[in-house]
Amino acid sequence: MARRERRINRQQRSAGLAQRPFRKLRNPYPKLEILSADQVEAIHQASLRVLRDTGMNFLLPKAVEILRQAGADIDTDGIRVRFDPALIEEKIKTVPPRFDLHARNPAHTVSIGDDWTVFMLMGSAPNVTDIDRGRRSGNYADFLNLIKLGQALNICHTIGGYPVEPVDLPASTRHLDAVAAMVRHTDKVLYGYALGRERMADGIEMARIARGISHERLLHEPSTMTVVNTNSPLQLDRPMLEGMIEMARANQPVILTPFTLAGAMAPITIAGALVEQNAEALAGIAFSQIVNPGAPIVYGSFTSNVDMRSGAPAFGTPEFAKSLLASGQLARRYGFPWRGSNVNASCAADEQATYESMMSIWPCMLAHCHMVKHSFGWLEGGLACSYEKIILDAEMLQMMAAFFEPLETDEDSLAVTAIDEVGPGKHFFQSPHTMARYEGAFYAPLLSDWRNFETWRESGSVEATQRANRIWKTLLETYEQPPLDLAILEELEAFVARRKEEGGAPPL
Amino acid sequence: MSEDNDLDLRELSDEDLVQQMHDDLYDGLKDEIEEGVNILLERGWAPYRILTDALVEGMRIVGIDFRDGILFVPEVLLSANAMKAGMFILRPLLAETGAPKMGKMVIGTVKGDIHDIGKNLVGMMMEGAGFEVIDIGINNPVEKYLAAIEEHKPDILGMSALLTTTMPYMKVVIDTLIEKGIRDDFVVLVGGAPLNEEFGKAVGADAYCRDAAVTVEIAKDFMKRRHNRLGTAAE
Repeated sequence: MARRERRINRQQRSAGLAQRPFRKLRNPYPKLEILSADQVEAIHQASLRVLRDTGMNFLLPKAVEILRQAGADIDTDGIRVRFDPALIEEKIKTVPPRFDLHARNPAHTVSIGDDWTVFMLMGSAPNVTDIDRGRRSGNYADFLNLIKLGQALNICHTIGGYPVEPVDLPASTRHLDAVAAMVRHTDKVLYGYALGRERMADGIEMARIARGISHERLLHEPSTMTVVNTNSPLQLDRPMLEGMIEMARANQPVILTPFTLAGAMAPITIAGALVEQNAEALAGIAFSQIVNPGAPIVYGSFTSNVDMRSGAPAFGTPEFAKSLLASGQLARRYGFPWRGSNVNASCAADEQATYESMMSIWPCMLAHCHMVKHSFGWLEGGLACSYEKIILDAEMLQMMAAFFEPLETDEDSLAVTAIDEVGPGKHFFQSPHTMARYEGAFYAPLLSDWRNFETWRESGSVEATQRANRIWKTLLETYEQPPLDLAILEELEAFVARRKEEGGAPPL
Repeated sequence: MSEDNDLDLRELSDEDLVQQMHDDLYDGLKDEIEEGVNILLERGWAPYRILTDALVEGMRIVGIDFRDGILFVPEVLLSANAMKAGMFILRPLLAETGAPKMGKMVIGTVKGDIHDIGKNLVGMMMEGAGFEVIDIGINNPVEKYLAAIEEHKPDILGMSALLTTTMPYMKVVIDTLIEKGIRDDFVVLVGGAPLNEEFGKAVGADAYCRDAAVTVEIAKDFMKRRHNRLGTAAE
């Protein structure tokens, strides 16, 4: 009987984890600008002065040669490169303001730029942790689980590197196994590492194979990405530069991220750290455009501060929040897509992790950040990826996604008729206006427990981190491997086998 | 939905009809519940059996899913309304046949407090469970409670408050009931957001009810014990 099915349907409505379908997110709100136009210009001019007078070390002779031919001034040491401001201004003009990042499942392709916001799984943690087993070194089994969580969570748009480093795999071939596993276990946008030319080239080729497209088409359709970190202050090292050249030539996006922690690798003032961030980013971005004008590139903001008592990095601080908002303004001055992060310095998936994260997420949203790296899982300033934190983050970011839905003020939404029908002193629980809308009217939480105290206590007083533990287990139990064309799988496996035979990548 | 409407309740066996009424209560279908009650009466069912087997049992299932967060408040209120419509037909017949009563409740918000949405929800849920509810509204001084008790002879007195400044008035009411020697004539239930179990005990209530679903459970439990006690006393 049809009616009888309704109880089952309603139970199922509540039984599953509360997720909305995967969708691209557009930030509809005004951008919060904390700097005046004059202040933005002052940072810009100061960073050009740094590049002109101090310059930057490029630790790859081939890169130095490319820059020499483009008109940069090379010091006698053959490393230090100084840039005329006009050269920088000229070269950065070709940066595309917007591009699409293609996933092997077209439904998971995302846009970078404009008002789009993309949430990325954590990348590059050396350790992994959960509340059952505690903290341990990165390994392939956990790597796979975390990739699966990234696939299972609809709010997670893309992979963001190895969520935890699978250090039990040999370094020379780790990237082959890790990227191949990503291709098998997720159909979201991939990520390769700029750890030298070979690893980067392999990452690009595997992304091409995963999508089943030609080399020619890959040039027009960015299908993987990487982060290039500067070795702040004012250096770009050989592996990163090699990776950047590979990516630029293949027309694949680099997220150029200066590692400017104020007080340590950058001046202790946030303005000074931003000058250094901007100088390093402009130099790197100009380099990419010299290699291949029009290659997609993303302005990276990672400026935070350190604990001046220990030197340890801090994240989700007021200083970090201000640097994010200022970075958004700087990126917009140039018309660059830009990247921020959802980060914290807590050693556990606890209250500190959550409030520092919120202190990262909000400025990212207010600053219209295009790529929020480390959106899911980050702990300990990046030294660990936490299963439970992935779920805490998913809840916070699902809420942000719902927050992006515009507030409607059409006649129906204004509800004057409903207000009149109910009148003073009654309630709206049974108003026809409510009855027509109640199911989808509000954000349904993934993690929050809204029951009253006694009910919560009777069911074991389970706090958010423990509930998160149950949720990631459910997600792993119900994970479904996305379909992969057999021909693609065979080509991928053949490529990995061949590259392993050739010895993989040389030591750095 | 169309196939639902095609369903002829009269074609169902008693067992299937009762099952269908549980489903219809769950779906808040008032007209179907009225029809179901009438069919069972036509088939010679005792009003009390219709009440317990079809309506109360159906609402018990609704109560479970409400407690467990499966149903939304508007859905539960629809169910309660459907139940109430069935009860409307049965109530005079139940009185005629002298059937055991589900129970009668006088409920009101205490003096100084006009916050009543929680109290209203409790009232509707209690009605949905088959209780007769006399709602005396908001801002009630002890005299109004006494008058309602005198008039309606309830099995349960319910008091609610939202403010920490008004909730102590519950003790004033209960102390007056003790003074008048009528405190044990009924069960006193208290509720409201700032209350807790400790407060309920301190003012001398029989129970603190944290939400509407729990209130119904507690009320049914008290009524069962009351029936048992009365039964024992009569023997």
